[in-house]
Amino acid sequence: MTLIALFTWSCERDDICAEATPTTPRLIIRFYDINNPEDFKDVRQLEIDGLDDDGNPFDMENPILVRTDTDSINLPLRFQAENEITTTRFRLTKDADFEDDIDDDGNDDLTTASNDDIITIRYTPEFVYVSRACGYKSIFNLDIDDPVTRDPDDIDIWTTSFEIINFTIENENAAQINIFH
Amino acid sequence: MQHRLTFFINVLVVMLFSLASQAQTGDTEKQTDTLVFKEKYGLRLGGDFGKIARSFIDEDYTGFEINGDYRLTKKLYIAGELGTEERRIASDFIDVTTNGSYFKAGIDYNTYTNWLDMQNMVYTGFRVGVSTFSQTQNQFTIYDINQYWGESFTDLTPREFKGLTAIWTELIIGLKAELFTNLYAGLNIQIKAMISQDQPVRFENLYVPGFNRTFDSGRFGLGFGYTISYLIPIYKKDKKVAVKKEDN
Repeated sequence: MTLIALFTWSCERDDICAEATPTTPRLIIRFYDINNPEDFKDVRQLEIDGLDDDGNPFDMENPILVRTDTDSINLPLRFQAENEITTTRFRLTKDADFEDDIDDDGNDDLTTASNDDIITIRYTPEFVYVSRACGYKSIFNLDIDDPVTRDPDDIDIWTTSFEIINFTIENENAAQINIFH
Repeated sequence: MQHRLTFFINVLVVMLFSLASQAQTGDTEKQTDTLVFKEKYGLRLGGDFGKIARSFIDEDYTGFEINGDYRLTKKLYIAGELGTEERRIASDFIDVTTNGSYFKAGIDYNTYTNWLDMQNMVYTGFRVGVSTFSQTQNQFTIYDINQYWGESFTDLTPREFKGLTAIWTELIIGLKAELFTNLYAGLNIQIKAMISQDQPVRFENLYVPGFNRTFDSGRFGLGFGYTISYLIPIYKKDKKVAVKKEDN
C-alpha cells in the first residue's frame, strides 16, 4: 500500500514542471569597475529594453529592467530555430532618470543626460530535453567571433569593455559575460 | 486528477473483490472421511476488457491484450500475455505517440484453497516482459518562462524513433473468479521494474507498451488488468479432500 501511495505521489509530481527545474536560461551579465577589475560596480539607474529588428524598443511600456542601481542583469534571448545563428539586441541606458530632468525654465536639463549603449548578442540556440513535464529547453552557444558587440556609431560609450566568462549559456547560476565600466 | 480518480477506483474494486472471495472459506470443517473430486486442468484463454473499454473511451489510447495460463500443478500455473498498445501523451509542451507490442511470460501461484472442484484464484505471480515499439514525437514547444519577447517556438516536425525495445519484470497480485462454468473474470495489479530500455536520442520513453507510463523518479511502473477468460479443460485429476464429520 505504501508503495502504491508512493506511485500516486510521484505521478502528481512528474506531470508539473517544477519551478526549481532549470529550463530556458537568460543571459547573465555582471558589471565590474574598470579601475578595479576585481570589484563589482553598480550601474546607476540602469534601464534595459530589448530592440526589435528595426532598432525600436520591443515593448516601451514594460522594459526588461526599470531604472535600478544594479551590478547584475538577466537578459532573455530570442530564438526561432535550432542551430541557426541568432542575434538579440538590447539598449542599456545608464542614468535613465536624467531623461526626465528639467531645468528651472521647464526645459530639458542639458547639463545632465542619460547614456544609451546598444549591444548585440550573437549565439546559436540548441534544444535540450529536460523531462516529461517541462519538455525541451533552449540553451545558447555564444558566437566564437562576435559574441557581444557594441553599436560602432556610438561615440559616447559607457560600457568600456567586455569579457566572456562562458560561451555556453545553459543555466542561470553564474554570469557568462562581464562588462567593465 | 482524472488519472488519480481512476486509480482509486481501481484499488477499491480490487479490494472489494478480494473481500468477496474470502467469504467462501470456513464452511468445510465439521466432517470426516475422504471425498474425491475431479479437478480440471487445462488452458485458460482470455482478453483484457479494461484495455478494450479504454480504447473506446479514451481517444488517446488503443490497446488489446490476450492472456492465458496453463495449470501445471495444484497451485502453479504458467501464464503469459500478448498485447499491442498505442498511446498518445500530449501536454502544452510535448506531444508524443508510442506504438508497439509486448509479450509477458511467467508463473502464477495460487494462494487460495478452493472449495470442492472450483478453480478460483487469489494469486501472486511473476513475469518477464519485453516490448518492441516506436515513439513518434509529434511536436514540442520550448519551455521558456521568460516571455518578454512574446514569442514561443514550436517544432512541428514529427520525429519517429523506431525499433526501440524494453525488458522489465513484474510482480502480480490478482484474483480470478469463476462466474459461470469455465468462464472467469479477473483483476490484477502489476508492479513493474524496468531492467533495460532503449532511449531515443535527445528524448526519453514516456510510455512503453505493456509497461505503461514511465516515471522520472526511477525504474518502477504500475499497471492494472481486468480480464475475462475461458477455461478449456484438457484433463482431470483426482483431488482428495479430507473431510471431518460433525462430532456428536
